[in-house]
Amino acid sequence: MIQHFPILAIMVLFFGAFFNLLLGKKSRLIRMLIVLASTGTALGLMLALVKPIMIDGGIVAYWMGDWAPIADFAYGIGLEVDALSLFFGLIITTAVFVSGLYSFEYMSHDDSLVNFYTLYLMLAGGVLGLVLSGDLFNVFVMIEIMTFSAVALTAFRNDTFGSLEAAFKYLVVGSIGSSCVLIGTILLYAQLHTLNMAQIAALLPSNLTPVTIIAFAFLFIGFATKAFLFPFHPLAADAHAVAPSSISVLISGVLTKTGVYGIIRLVYFLYQNIGEQSVQYLLILVGSISMFVCVTMALAQHNFKRLLAFHSISQIGYVITAVGLATSLGVSAGLYHAMNHTLFKGLLFLCAGAVLHQTGSVDLDDLGGLARRMPKTTILFLIGAFSISGLPPFNGFVSKWMIYQAAYERAWMGGGSLIYIFVTVVALLTSVLTLASFIKVAQSVFFGQLPEKYKDVEEVPFSMRAPMWLLALLCILTGIFPDQVYQYLIGPATSAVFSVAGYVSAMFGSGYFEISISAEYLIGYWNPLCWLILLFVVLAAVTLVSLMGKKSRGKVREEASEKSDPKYEPFYGGEASEFSQVGGSDLFWGFKHNLKPYLTFMHNAHSGVVNDYALWGVVALALAILFAILWL
Amino acid sequence: MTEMLWNLFYILVFPGLLFCVIAGLLLAGIDRKVVARMQRRIGPPIAQPLYDFLKLLGKETIIPRTASRTMFLGAPLIGFVSLIVTALFIPIFGFTAFGGVADLVVIIYLLTIPAVSIIMGGAASGSPYAGVGLSREMVAIMSYELPLVLVILAISRKAGGVFGIGGLTFSMTQIAEYQAQFGPMITKWSMIPAAVAMLLVIPCEVGNHPFDIAEAETEICEGTLVEYSGPPLAVYKLSHAIKMFIMSALFSALFLGGAGTGMLAVDALIFLLECVAVTIISMSLPHAVTARLKVEQVFKFFWTFVAGLAALSVVLVWFGL
Amino acid sequence: MIKKLIENSTAKSPWLYHINTGSCNGCDIELVAVLTPRYDAERFGFKLTGTPRHADIVVVSGPVTLQSKDKLIRVLAQVPEPKVVVSLGSCPRSCNVFKGSYSVAGPLDKYTHVDVSVAGCTPKPEAIVAGLAKAAEILKKKREGMS
Repeated sequence: MIQHFPILAIMVLFFGAFFNLLLGKKSRLIRMLIVLASTGTALGLMLALVKPIMIDGGIVAYWMGDWAPIADFAYGIGLEVDALSLFFGLIITTAVFVSGLYSFEYMSHDDSLVNFYTLYLMLAGGVLGLVLSGDLFNVFVMIEIMTFSAVALTAFRNDTFGSLEAAFKYLVVGSIGSSCVLIGTILLYAQLHTLNMAQIAALLPSNLTPVTIIAFAFLFIGFATKAFLFPFHPLAADAHAVAPSSISVLISGVLTKTGVYGIIRLVYFLYQNIGEQSVQYLLILVGSISMFVCVTMALAQHNFKRLLAFHSISQIGYVITAVGLATSLGVSAGLYHAMNHTLFKGLLFLCAGAVLHQTGSVDLDDLGGLARRMPKTTILFLIGAFSISGLPPFNGFVSKWMIYQAAYERAWMGGGSLIYIFVTVVALLTSVLTLASFIKVAQSVFFGQLPEKYKDVEEVPFSMRAPMWLLALLCILTGIFPDQVYQYLIGPATSAVFSVAGYVSAMFGSGYFEISISAEYLIGYWNPLCWLILLFVVLAAVTLVSLMGKKSRGKVREEASEKSDPKYEPFYGGEASEFSQVGGSDLFWGFKHNLKPYLTFMHNAHSGVVNDYALWGVVALALAILFAILWL
Repeated sequence: MTEMLWNLFYILVFPGLLFCVIAGLLLAGIDRKVVARMQRRIGPPIAQPLYDFLKLLGKETIIPRTASRTMFLGAPLIGFVSLIVTALFIPIFGFTAFGGVADLVVIIYLLTIPAVSIIMGGAASGSPYAGVGLSREMVAIMSYELPLVLVILAISRKAGGVFGIGGLTFSMTQIAEYQAQFGPMITKWSMIPAAVAMLLVIPCEVGNHPFDIAEAETEICEGTLVEYSGPPLAVYKLSHAIKMFIMSALFSALFLGGAGTGMLAVDALIFLLECVAVTIISMSLPHAVTARLKVEQVFKFFWTFVAGLAALSVVLVWFGL
Repeated sequence: MIKKLIENSTAKSPWLYHINTGSCNGCDIELVAVLTPRYDAERFGFKLTGTPRHADIVVVSGPVTLQSKDKLIRVLAQVPEPKVVVSLGSCPRSCNVFKGSYSVAGPLDKYTHVDVSVAGCTPKPEAIVAGLAKAAEILKKKREGMS
């Protein structure tokens, strides 16, 4: 019974897409039902797999059409779900479900919604199929499905300025990535005569030929494109800025995760070459550059969603860096951060969507003071912003803290070097810069002064707030209970990463390697629950003291009583108050001034011309091939 | 039951709420007095910060028309409370109230919450002066974070080389233990640049001269605090005083630790004296002799000179000194 | 008890906000001189603040000109209660030599209640300190009358 769940989860999404196209024209209700039923079922099926896979440590292997391997050689298409796949599957289905819930209200003003939901379900099915697949060619097929639906969804609001352009860029550079995956797959197939990932994992490390080494470069670049890693980051920025927000959630929270998943599978399973220093350096280098470059790019943005897009890549940089540390702490930190990223970035994109939905603008220089009109959205945004900036007790703090520890610890292990210290410093610095740019968003969208034209803006309806609250709640819960999250989700996924043997033998019933899990320890201590209790005790004490002294305290005067009283005007050095908002572009002058050469260079480099970005991709590919030839 | 009462005592009296408030106000008073004496003035009484605090409690609170009320009133409280909680994690020689549940990195992150609360409060007031102020505050945070991180990394290796698993530790308790056995951190040659860097970081983190760019009262009308009055302002002023205490306590715990005498009361007294010394050296002295730097100068100063000092320490530790 | 403490502290920590409504700068310089080492008004807890929201005592110097009249009224309104207004020098008291000018709308007491008036052109620093100390006393009384 249980082994049918993965394929059912994928099929239900694709069937949903099919039926939606068939019946969805009739009414909104039918569309809603189809979307809710299919995404809900997929989520339910994934949750049902938690017990056997995460807790009992099993692996679900499934041969489509019961084409089991003949004489230990795979001919059929296989699905293999270990804890790693399931971990990503859970992230994906959660994000898809939430995004679907949000879309009903958010997209209600657009037309041709049948196409929207069909593409949306195709995208969801493709992504889920990718992480659950046990077959390299199937991975490619799913990448294609997912990329093309994502491109179409990016251009869905084709009346918005730049949406077609962004979709075109995505199409061109995304195709480079997809082709890379295809070429890599072909090369591997030519050498090993199999497409099954478990079998490749068993055969490849002992059959390293120049061809398979080149294939590594192609596959790596292919998956890096899907994760929008440096130098493919400009795509994400363009795509996120114009795509509907519920789709941005998927592109940033889910599509990038497939790239991360692909890279983990590539270096830990297929090639098992993560033990080599050069591969670790490759991942760490790519991760750190993505982390730092994108966060500085984000500081310079004045479009809410573009800014979030750059942060997306910055956070994926954290994940890749952590994964590249090749310690079990590093991998758990990376996976934890990957999950957290989906949660808080999803929340932030939904907040951006809420702002866009109510005001029609995401320009940081144009908005302001919305906290007074949309207080609930503001709270949700602050939860997301504090999570991504890594403030305790939210979830971003836990995973980032693990990443710092893993990186710094790596510096003093065998084969450690000053590079790891440098990486730790970059990671910590990126975190501060992330905080800075979210302060910027908070100041220029939600706080500051309310422009006259937005004075009648209203709070988003509950149907849009509910999915946001869901994500916010998850952000808080995964921040407060890191031990439980680790025990049930991260731990099993981490040990799955380090047990290639289990992955292979689940498919073929024959073990080649011993399962090895290195000891897990943290060099620091953090107990968010204890901290929260302390916080509340102190808060209670302070409140008590202030209540006791209430009589002797001065009065709190409200503005409402006297509207025109100059007393409640903000202080303008005596002048009559007027609209004066410190816009997003004007903040952090001291910082920008000192980094002007760097920022100017970055500004010029990101020309927005698709030819340039394609060139970057090709150069990256060439460098990756060079790397593979020299160091593998 | 008795354990819970003890915990309550730790939280509310020592080293929590009451102790922090008293120590903070005392240090702020001493700071003002010392600055005045350095400028050959008589200076305000030591209790002046207390008078300021009490007076502000008795003033009216005005919420400007442009402000978002909840955030405007809530931000100071959150910042204040999280500061107090941070104080619980800092060891006093051998003694820690809740040292087992947090480490150095956590403390650094917890210390950003008060800064963020000031920023959020300023942003919520809707004043353009506050907008400029919060931008400066954020630049200040970005400036000191780099050297601070490097200092922490150097310390964690120095102490962890002896105690930690994997050759490093972020645990405050272990750092205190290391100093109890091998003498204060500042007596190690490789740690002296880091100590100097930390001394320079303290005034910026607290927001004192010459790095008080965010609250420059003569340029941007007190920056983020421009619209605050009455009790919320009192809480901010109190937080500022406590932050002085916590930063100097952190320095004392990291660099001036030791075996202690074994008696908590005496230890606490010595610790407080160390804090006073750190306050005078790192805050009063620069306050009395320097003028305020410009925003971009602060950033440049910290990312080149101070970060260089801290990096020197890391490199020295790397070579096993 | 807390009430008593607050009232006593109010007299010991008066913060100043200084408004120049068209003064010749003589009084302004003398006010700053009060804070310098020689007179050191900080020993009484006086402190110059940058915004009226923090202030307890508003010091006004200069005859109120037409240009500064609105600004004066607005800033005075923005000071939280309890507050004390001190007029510094002869100008806010009587418009001094500027009386009768087309651009002068003074004196100060046309627009607000003046609690302490320090006379002189310019007043001596000792006189200013004495006036401010008086203002601090009035401040305490106002605080007592508040609740």
